Amino acid sequence: MPDQSTLTPVRPPLVTVDKLTVDMPLGRSGASVRIVDGVDFIVGVGERVALVGESGSGKSLTARALMRLDRLAKLSGRVDFDGTDLLKLSDRDMGKLRGSSIAMVFQDPMSFLDPLMTIGDQVAETLRIRGIGKVEARKRALSVLDELGVDRAAERLDSYPHEFSGGMRQRVVLAMALVGEPRLLIADEPTTALDVRVQDQVLDLLDDVSTRRGLAVLFITHDLGVVAGFAERVMVMYSGRIVEDGEVGSVFARPSHPYTQGLIKAVPRIDQDLATLYAIPGAPPPPLARPSGCPFHPRCDQRFDRCDRELPALLPIGRTRVACHLHDGKGD
Amino acid sequence: MLAFRAYSWFLGRRLGLTLLTLWGLASLVFLMIKLMPGDEAQMAAGADASAAQIEAVRERLGLDAPVIMQYLSFLGRLLRGDLGTSIVTLQPVLADLEKVLPSTLELVFIAMLLNLAVAIPTGIVAAYRQGGIFDTTSRITAVMLGGMPAFWLALVLQYVLGSVWRVVPISGQQGYGMNSPVISGAPTLDALIAGNLAGFFDALHHIILPAAVLAALFATQIFRTLRAALLGVLRSDFIMAVRAKGATARHMLVRHALPNSLNPVLTLSGTQAGAMIGSAVLVETVFARQGIGAYMFNAVAQKDAFAVLGSVMFIGTVVCLVNLIVDILQLLVDPRIRAAQLGSQSQ
Amino acid sequence: MTAPAIVQPATARRKEGFTPFEAFVFALVVALLAIAIVGPFFAPDSVYNSDIANSLMPPSAANWFGTDDQGRDVFWRLIVGAQTTLLSAFLVVTLYSLIGVTIATVAAAGPRWLDEGLMRITDIGLALPGMIVALGFAAAMGASLRSAVIAMAITGWPITARMLRGIMRQTMEQPFVAGAQVLGVSKWRLMTKHVLPNSLDVLIVKWAGDIGTTVLVLASLSFIGVGAQPPSAEWGATIAAARGYVSTAWWTVVAPGAAVAITSIAFGLLGDIIQVRRDPSLRGN
Repeated sequence: MPDQSTLTPVRPPLVTVDKLTVDMPLGRSGASVRIVDGVDFIVGVGERVALVGESGSGKSLTARALMRLDRLAKLSGRVDFDGTDLLKLSDRDMGKLRGSSIAMVFQDPMSFLDPLMTIGDQVAETLRIRGIGKVEARKRALSVLDELGVDRAAERLDSYPHEFSGGMRQRVVLAMALVGEPRLLIADEPTTALDVRVQDQVLDLLDDVSTRRGLAVLFITHDLGVVAGFAERVMVMYSGRIVEDGEVGSVFARPSHPYTQGLIKAVPRIDQDLATLYAIPGAPPPPLARPSGCPFHPRCDQRFDRCDRELPALLPIGRTRVACHLHDGKGD
Repeated sequence: MLAFRAYSWFLGRRLGLTLLTLWGLASLVFLMIKLMPGDEAQMAAGADASAAQIEAVRERLGLDAPVIMQYLSFLGRLLRGDLGTSIVTLQPVLADLEKVLPSTLELVFIAMLLNLAVAIPTGIVAAYRQGGIFDTTSRITAVMLGGMPAFWLALVLQYVLGSVWRVVPISGQQGYGMNSPVISGAPTLDALIAGNLAGFFDALHHIILPAAVLAALFATQIFRTLRAALLGVLRSDFIMAVRAKGATARHMLVRHALPNSLNPVLTLSGTQAGAMIGSAVLVETVFARQGIGAYMFNAVAQKDAFAVLGSVMFIGTVVCLVNLIVDILQLLVDPRIRAAQLGSQSQ
Repeated sequence: MTAPAIVQPATARRKEGFTPFEAFVFALVVALLAIAIVGPFFAPDSVYNSDIANSLMPPSAANWFGTDDQGRDVFWRLIVGAQTTLLSAFLVVTLYSLIGVTIATVAAAGPRWLDEGLMRITDIGLALPGMIVALGFAAAMGASLRSAVIAMAITGWPITARMLRGIMRQTMEQPFVAGAQVLGVSKWRLMTKHVLPNSLDVLIVKWAGDIGTTVLVLASLSFIGVGAQPPSAEWGATIAAARGYVSTAWWTVVAPGAAVAITSIAFGLLGDIIQVRRDPSLRGN
């Protein structure tokens, strides 16, 4: 069981993920490749957690696995939501939770909206699926859209997605997720496709909504700036595993894992005077060819002999968890 | 208003293309007439016409004039609806064909219904359970059916289902004693209009196998197209978003995946409507039904040259008109085809 | 210890070989071609003569597929007919492919007005029901196999022409073409050395698949009576001749029809396989 002592105080756990692995099929022959290699974490009620990593680290798959959205993925482990193991549910029962207990918003709102349906219908759909009547559903859709700052929402209920701007569409997608009053919102890179101004607006919205509703948010991103502004806790993923997990303040100020250190160093700062920007040398390993031992060791400048032999476990030091031999067994 | 201008421009272009096509067809038919071996006047006059009669016909058809004049007068005759006279029935070809056209249209209509009613659900299930047993089986079936000659399938099924198992009637359009007054020429429709319920079901019974055979080939195309389109849509992001809302598979398929995949299917079925009319000849002859195809077949068998060529002109025209109507309908029905055709962007 | 990254299935995957299915289709096509080319040499003379006493006999050891209404062995008639049917189909498809390629090349390489004009004509050709027009031509020229072949060649080129012209135009819009022209490469050389070979790919796929559909249409035309005439062994003609005997001697109808079906399906699959091999993204279709 993941160690709960790293949680920010007084938060009952909402989702507990235990040794989750995700295998994706490879070609037609039945082989599969392990993308997510055993992750453990907890998201508390109302907590805002960011999941950071480069593309290919497995963060999106992990998020989708929580909702079991990938039909082709093979999952193992345990995902406990409010006492139920989500991985053991039938797809049908899982469907009942989707939209109502756990909801998701995605990266590119245009491709996540059905071009043939009005946005009013699409927002209301989450409720209609649950059998709520047309009029009531529409009313609630309207109120959520209002809440999210879509002006003249009433008129626009009958417009189509292509008639909206990017920022508006993201609000629509957010509305679609929130209208069912979920307890956990998974946001998969919701700001990546937006320009900075709109990013700000959406983050403010999320902030507002999550505080007001006591909504837990699992925020997937590769943008550390966004993490700093929004999350309470951050988990860093590398090559399918979590390598660091702790409060945003401490992790950013004193990163423990070399990868995290590299990530933070790579963020350009206005008060720096550099000739070149720093980038972590090398590239993340493809899932088919993971290095032995710690997957980061080939790129790590602090590695030693143990690193290519043994996979480091995710262990607590103080209130952070780190998967690195440098911190093995050390207390704080 | 912009939309109106765009619409009328499109309509104009489409009509223009149709007229051009009809003209091309007419020219081809004229070419065919000229290609025929033997004396045209003699063929028109009939096998046992006297020399004087032949000369009279030659005079009437203006066959002594230069080719250009003949061509123009031919076009003129066409525009007046004169498709020649059948040597066998001694009636104007156009009149003969008009009588039997409804029967063919009825066959094609029911075949189209069967086609879509079978192909679409099959395509949906096959795509959703890609790689499963149903998918593989239906794809194999589609390949098999697609390669079979329609007339052979008709013969075999006629034998097996008609003679051996006696499930359907072997041929004809109506059973004995079930004759309804001929109002439109389409047996099922006529029976309905006349209120003859027993006759209606009888006519349906007679039409079901021919329609099924006609539909079979085209159904494989629809199946393939729909399945491919659905596979693409099912992989798309918004489908995942719909599932994230908690939609059941059925809801997702019917309300989201299908509508977004119908575009190519609609276009294809539009094309098929015309093609079916052309292929009707094969089915009508085997099942001894009346129709423009059967008429043409008989004309060929009896070496009724003008009836054959008149049929070509007629059937070709019908197909072109059907295609035109379908294109216009598609325009009205699907906003995205509308956008593509009219070049409008609603951003 | 790291867990193995890949979960291997029991059977390994071959990379460049043929799947059993593909091999089967290839073998089938080759067999059909072989039959068409050399089969008739082995046919006994009895195939060409009537033997009424022996007519309409069911399949037996002596006559594998039985005999037809003239007492001829159905099996050997099929073999002989294979030559007629297949070689005619080859001729038709090759003919109209050549016409199509020529028109497409002229349209793509030539001035705009020529392109427009040719495409209008192609549009007309596309809008007309091919089989009906072919029927008309064949009937007008006097019903025979030769008429049917010519008729089908005349009506078959529009689809090929339009498809190829599209590809050619696309290729010509590539930067490397403009680059070559700047270097002084003549248009002719450009077309033959660069544009055409690109289109060949697609043409071959279409050619293979078309053989399949052409066999079908040819048989249909013969069945209607405007193609090969009895006593030709062409498969469609054979079915037409046997039509009346479907209830008494089913083998006379089923055998040639099955031959048409198998040939048509085999070539169709061949076309699909070639297409998938050249463009793996189409897998799963």
